[in-house]
Amino acid sequence: MSRFSLYDDEAHPSPWQQTWQAFKSSHIALVGLALLMLFVFFAFFAPLVTPYDPNSQNTEALLIPPSWAANGSITHLFGTDALGRDLFSRIMYGCRVTFGTSLLVVIIAMLIGVTIGTIAGMLSGVRSSVMNHLLDALMAIPTLLIAIIIVGILGSGLVNSMWAITLALIPQFIHHTRSFVRSEMKKDYIQSSTLDGANYLQVFYYSILPNMIEMLVVQGALALSVAILDISALGFLNLGAQAPLPELGAILAAGLDAGYLAPWNIALPGITIFLMVLSITIVGDGLRSALRKRVNR
Amino acid sequence: MIRILLRYLVLFSLTFLTLSALSFSLVYLFPTEPVTTLTGITPQNLVQHEALVTQYHLDDSYLVQFAHYLGDLFNGNWGVSLFSGEPLLDEIMLALPATIELSAYAMSIVLVVGIPLGCYSGLKAYTGSDYTINSVSVVVNSVPVVWLAVIFILTFSLQFGWLPLSGRINLLFDIPSQTGFLFIDILLTDNIDTARALKDAFLHLILPTLAIAFISTAALVRITRRSVIDVLNQPYIIAARAKGLSSRQIFFRHVLRNALLPALPLLAMQITTLITNAMIVETLFSWPGIGSWLIQAIYQRDYSALRMGMLAVSTLVVMITIAIDLFNRLIDPSREKYESVTI
Amino acid sequence: MFNRLAWPVTTAVVIVMLGGCSPQKYSSNINEGLVYCSESDPISMNPQLDTSTTTADATAHQIYNRLLEFDPESGRIRPSLASSWTISDNGLVYRFELRQGVQFHNTAYFTPSRTFSADDVLFSFNRWRLQEHEFHPVSGGYYPYFESLGLADNIADIKKVNSHRIEITLRQRDSSFLANIASDFSVILSAEYGDALMSAGIPEQIDELPIGTGPFKYSDYKQNHYIRYDINQAYWQTVPAHSLIFDITPKSSLRLAKLMTGECDAVAFPARVDHAIIREREDLVLAEKAGLNIGFWAFNTQRAPFDNPLVRKALAYAIDKNTLLEAVYFDSAIRAKSLLPEASWAYQADANDTGYNPVLARKLLDEAGIKPGFTMSIWAIPVERAYNPNARKMAELIQRYLAEIDVEVNIVSYDWTTFRRQLRQGNHDSVLIGWSADNGDPDNFYRPLLSCDAIPSGTNRARWCNRAYDDILDRALQTENIDIRKALYLQANELIFDKLPLVPIAHAFRYQAYREELSGMVINPYGGVRLGGVTKARD
Repeated sequence: MSRFSLYDDEAHPSPWQQTWQAFKSSHIALVGLALLMLFVFFAFFAPLVTPYDPNSQNTEALLIPPSWAANGSITHLFGTDALGRDLFSRIMYGCRVTFGTSLLVVIIAMLIGVTIGTIAGMLSGVRSSVMNHLLDALMAIPTLLIAIIIVGILGSGLVNSMWAITLALIPQFIHHTRSFVRSEMKKDYIQSSTLDGANYLQVFYYSILPNMIEMLVVQGALALSVAILDISALGFLNLGAQAPLPELGAILAAGLDAGYLAPWNIALPGITIFLMVLSITIVGDGLRSALRKRVNR
Repeated sequence: MIRILLRYLVLFSLTFLTLSALSFSLVYLFPTEPVTTLTGITPQNLVQHEALVTQYHLDDSYLVQFAHYLGDLFNGNWGVSLFSGEPLLDEIMLALPATIELSAYAMSIVLVVGIPLGCYSGLKAYTGSDYTINSVSVVVNSVPVVWLAVIFILTFSLQFGWLPLSGRINLLFDIPSQTGFLFIDILLTDNIDTARALKDAFLHLILPTLAIAFISTAALVRITRRSVIDVLNQPYIIAARAKGLSSRQIFFRHVLRNALLPALPLLAMQITTLITNAMIVETLFSWPGIGSWLIQAIYQRDYSALRMGMLAVSTLVVMITIAIDLFNRLIDPSREKYESVTI
Repeated sequence: MFNRLAWPVTTAVVIVMLGGCSPQKYSSNINEGLVYCSESDPISMNPQLDTSTTTADATAHQIYNRLLEFDPESGRIRPSLASSWTISDNGLVYRFELRQGVQFHNTAYFTPSRTFSADDVLFSFNRWRLQEHEFHPVSGGYYPYFESLGLADNIADIKKVNSHRIEITLRQRDSSFLANIASDFSVILSAEYGDALMSAGIPEQIDELPIGTGPFKYSDYKQNHYIRYDINQAYWQTVPAHSLIFDITPKSSLRLAKLMTGECDAVAFPARVDHAIIREREDLVLAEKAGLNIGFWAFNTQRAPFDNPLVRKALAYAIDKNTLLEAVYFDSAIRAKSLLPEASWAYQADANDTGYNPVLARKLLDEAGIKPGFTMSIWAIPVERAYNPNARKMAELIQRYLAEIDVEVNIVSYDWTTFRRQLRQGNHDSVLIGWSADNGDPDNFYRPLLSCDAIPSGTNRARWCNRAYDDILDRALQTENIDIRKALYLQANELIFDKLPLVPIAHAFRYQAYREELSGMVINPYGGVRLGGVTKARD
């Protein structure tokens, strides 16, 4: 500490700093975070790092193996696909599309879910058990089914598949927010601020929300990995992103057509989705155990 | 007890009503004529159009229509497929058992492998073997199911040629569908080589089942492990230890039960994931189940099929979820609100 | 205790894997039937109603027979249900002697009481020929093949001479008539079955549960899944050795995978990209045969400046066809000089051809008064076809060639339905498209592609109308003498080369991939696949 400390006081790190300290102590979590940062970087700066336009075809360079293969070429790091498009560029853009849309989906679902969940948790009037159970039951409808129905109504496309996944994620946020808010409402500090004359909005904004953020981050990480798996699965089934949009699931599906001749067209997009989800899971797990340690301390 | 049962019955009825209302609203949401989505018949002329409208009460208010819709549902009059013209009830009754079969086998693998592994990992928490099991399950849980299935096909079917990659059984075995559950149908079919048919059906089952089971097993291991660790930290375990019970007794009397109960709701959520994965895997392995049927329907824009398929699948999944919930409530009635564990 | 639990699981998995172990192919001991993996659902079980290859594959040669058929090797017309035929001197009256004792299928839904006779021929032909026939409106009442050729109009009368002899009278001579009768679509249905269905009030069933005389009997069909056929034990030719199953598998990669594991014995349309793999493997066979098709580049001759033959010639000299063949067809095609492929009896080996000569091309353009920087459009079909597996790619290659002679190219591509509609309206400058023949007769190439009458029906993409050319074609139909006809078609070739309404590019090969255990697989260049004579070795 460079700052002069007048009192010989013990340093009191903020809760976030405490969590970070605990998080930092796990090497795996750090590796996961680094990997995640890499994907975030690709998502934002794909146009800067990609050597080719992801959609430009080169008929002279069909199905070139990746650069580390015996007959690969250094001009195409990950090789090319059946239309001569540079796979590295497509996967980088794929990270952007898949990761970016998933993030957007989770944020939208979180905003809606938290709003509804908070209202449901704070207003005892809406506490009808049937309503809550109904919501829980609807939560069980598979994402794929919701997506199929939405595609049926609106037609296929990346944006429509995003709506489907948002719809599927919202109930989980409602569920968690509701039980969190309800358990929190019983606590003394809320009662005291209510007695101070704070209205619902103030109670929520000043008392509950700050305590809820950690829960939301953890839930958000979980939802993000689910969203990525779902978006790519829908892209793979040709219900989500449409050609030639580089979406990782759609790239994987296109790779299947030449799969036997060019297995890297299956392996590389698959590994990318896998690593993306893995890094999010590791970071989410790391955060969760860091929070647990902090609370237990 | 009866009160609880009654409450769940009401809950189920309400959910079903909501779901059928949703499927009914699809009649007006899908971009075809309501008559066509509802019946699966494209009217050839105005006379037929009028007749259908009258028959299905489409000129009445929405409430009356919905009442008739519910009546038709219970009478088994589900309409016909726009594409094939077959009655939807028959088609769904043919496809649904295939999916149930696949999911049931996968689920049993998940339970048989996942719970013991999770308990073991939880008991040995923070040791080398726990560390290994936990990291493997984190890794497996992150694998996209389509990719896993493709890798399985490439490895076990194409590279080694051990296992077939498509369908429930080699088409050369002509097994008429009686129950829809293949193994029972094989036993019911005469004049085929039953032993070979059973072996063939079994071989067809391995890859899709494993592809689905892998991912859900990993999830269950993580759920069980976390739950066991939480229970182990409870005071009553320390008390039991102080009482001098062996770790074996502690595990079976106190840990197992108390760990599995809060894990149940999460297990119910895993069933949804498992069925979603089953539906995706079906399309890769040409498994003639409800998933590939629905995806085919959306490719063909077979709206009447989508409408009924949506209702059938969602009702099934919701029914399973509610049943697990009910089961949980029945074996542990004291628990007003069980807080589910996190992973 | 959990360590102990792990072992049974591992052991079980290992046993399962070893139990199924038979390298490269899991199902080597199941061979009661033949599995053909087809690419799509047939539209109908009756090829009279649909001209798609998929429908023809699933029905024409499995369930039915025709009066005549093509020899898949030589392309000659040979007897089938008609044991012999005579043609009157004026070429208008055809008399067919019908085979005796041919059984129709005996199935769960129909038991024939009599054998094949003249009534069945009349029933089958009159169904598509006569508007007033009671079966004409059944299942839509649209018979595309016969309508597009004007066959229904040209038949004046079909007469039953006796139970096994019929006489067909034409209005005009038509030397391609026999070829049309032998095509996949001229199948013979059972009149007795039709009558039974009509009196039962369910006439549509004739196209859903088919009855024919072919090597296989229809047994069961599940959409998107399979079609099952039983052996027709009473078949009048060689009874097939196996029952037959069509396993409907739309994805070509999955078809290849199933072929490798032995779940399919033969597959339809192996993808070009997989050919190398199939050739590499010893247990698979990739048969190829020059197909009866042509891929070409047609100019819209009704639009300036493409109404000037000089311009068309210049553009033809500007492209290198050999590169197109290499890049688009991966050399699985033959360079086309005229309309006809080598398999046709009227093929002209020494036909004139345009070579790659950009200097001459530019000179011709200058002569025609086309300034550098001239812009034109090339329309590329948006779908994959045997005659052109990747038109878009071909268009891009041509774009580069034309840039060398200072002609700029816009590539146009719509959704397939819109594309065909726009094309029919003649909104294109030029188009990359092609034609697959339905029968072996040269008229099936020359007439639909370039005759005046074919402009409104939409098959003449060049919109080229030349009376002299039409006259040659008509004269070629007026005679049965092959030498005279061939000489006339050589004249037509010269005329085409002189005016160049279209640039012939390639005759693509047709492919069939199957397992090496199969014998008797023959590619049929004249339409659908034939599986009746295929046998599978037991191993």
